[in-house]
Amino acid sequence: MGLNIVVLDPAHGGTDLGARGTEGIRESEVILEFSSRLKQTLEAQGFQVLTTRDGNDNPSFDDRSARANAQRGAIFITLHIASTGLPGTVRTYVMPEFPSATNTTGLISWDRAQAPFVGLSRKLGDLVQQDLARRFRGSPATATVAPVRQLRTTAAPAIAVEISSVVVQQRGELDRMIPGVADAITHGVVAFRPSYILPLVSSGGGATQP
Amino acid sequence: MIAKWRLWLGGGLLVAVIAAALYFPALRRQVNVAKQLTEKSAEQARRELLPPAPASSGDPKVRVKMFWGSKAGDSFTPVTVELPLSVDPVLRAKQVLNTLLAGPIDPEARTLPADAALLAFYLLPDGTGVADFSESMSTSIPSGIQSEQMAVDSITRTLEANVPQVQRLKILIHGQEMDTLAGHLDLTQTFLVNTSGLGTQPAKPSAASILTSPIHKAVETMKSVTKR
Repeated sequence: MGLNIVVLDPAHGGTDLGARGTEGIRESEVILEFSSRLKQTLEAQGFQVLTTRDGNDNPSFDDRSARANAQRGAIFITLHIASTGLPGTVRTYVMPEFPSATNTTGLISWDRAQAPFVGLSRKLGDLVQQDLARRFRGSPATATVAPVRQLRTTAAPAIAVEISSVVVQQRGELDRMIPGVADAITHGVVAFRPSYILPLVSSGGGATQP
Repeated sequence: MIAKWRLWLGGGLLVAVIAAALYFPALRRQVNVAKQLTEKSAEQARRELLPPAPASSGDPKVRVKMFWGSKAGDSFTPVTVELPLSVDPVLRAKQVLNTLLAGPIDPEARTLPADAALLAFYLLPDGTGVADFSESMSTSIPSGIQSEQMAVDSITRTLEANVPQVQRLKILIHGQEMDTLAGHLDLTQTFLVNTSGLGTQPAKPSAASILTSPIHKAVETMKSVTKR
């Protein structure tokens, strides 16, 4: 099974505006445009792209993860804009190692669905971050490890990408970053494609939802 | 005659609908204000019930390393201060966390919300510390993975540097286990404390280990304390 599906997750939405900055910048709105741009660049490389939201709604963490968990041959990328941090930089986050839990059927626990994929997620995260570091000075050279809630329940290689930040003086500064970030993520995903070999977690290949 | 009666009835209903439409936003505001006051009162009462960490005037002054942030908010600038600290690890943890919450001289270097408070701190026999913060820790923190990670890492690093008995940390908000700190960082797990190389350094785990059974007991203890 090769990599052919990318699930994009524009964070927040609905009543959850996410980070809010000067000039009325709202993370939930900017991130939708970012997602749309990234979808185009990934589709141009032959990937099928699914999104967790296309409008102003706010699916739950589990619903967002379920979008990826229902696919085979998929990766998951959740997109964010920070409130803080050095403006003009971008960070990729991956989950730390944590023990997997399987039940008697061999299915992995929904709450720990990311556990078997942490190694692949780190590889994907590093590839994406290396490209981001080249384009955006001040960004870390490799992916940062952090227990991001959205990633924990995702049964696929999964990363979070966060742009700094909503404190820019004008919305245009963020808008100008978006094409570069989209290109860097796409290059990282393309570079990751040959190493996409799913871990043997179960005969069904899925996670059990509580 | 009937038409006139209907006209009056319709007019009356229309006036009632307009009056309700005008009154509804004010009513909603009043309900929200009342709700906030109730929440604040409950939290205030809890703070008053739980004794603060003693001033420890009799404790010897020691050099304490506090992990506040840089101005950019993406790294730490450790600051060494002299504080009278208790030898008791629980009191000591309360003292250093309250100092961390009080913040540095430069407000831009804060990692935790100015209005957040430590409500309680427990230390389990297996070295797991349980820190219970007020709701402001969750509601006033800037939204984002980086800011939430900086907040947790500043707590774990400060504990690591000053309270070696704390090996892991469980964070509660107002006595409750929360899914996330402020929408991003996972609070269902414990954070590693007593290990070197924590934090935002790439490719090194900054936090999180498995949830162990004593934590569940601690959460239950916290809930019972809150109920009392």
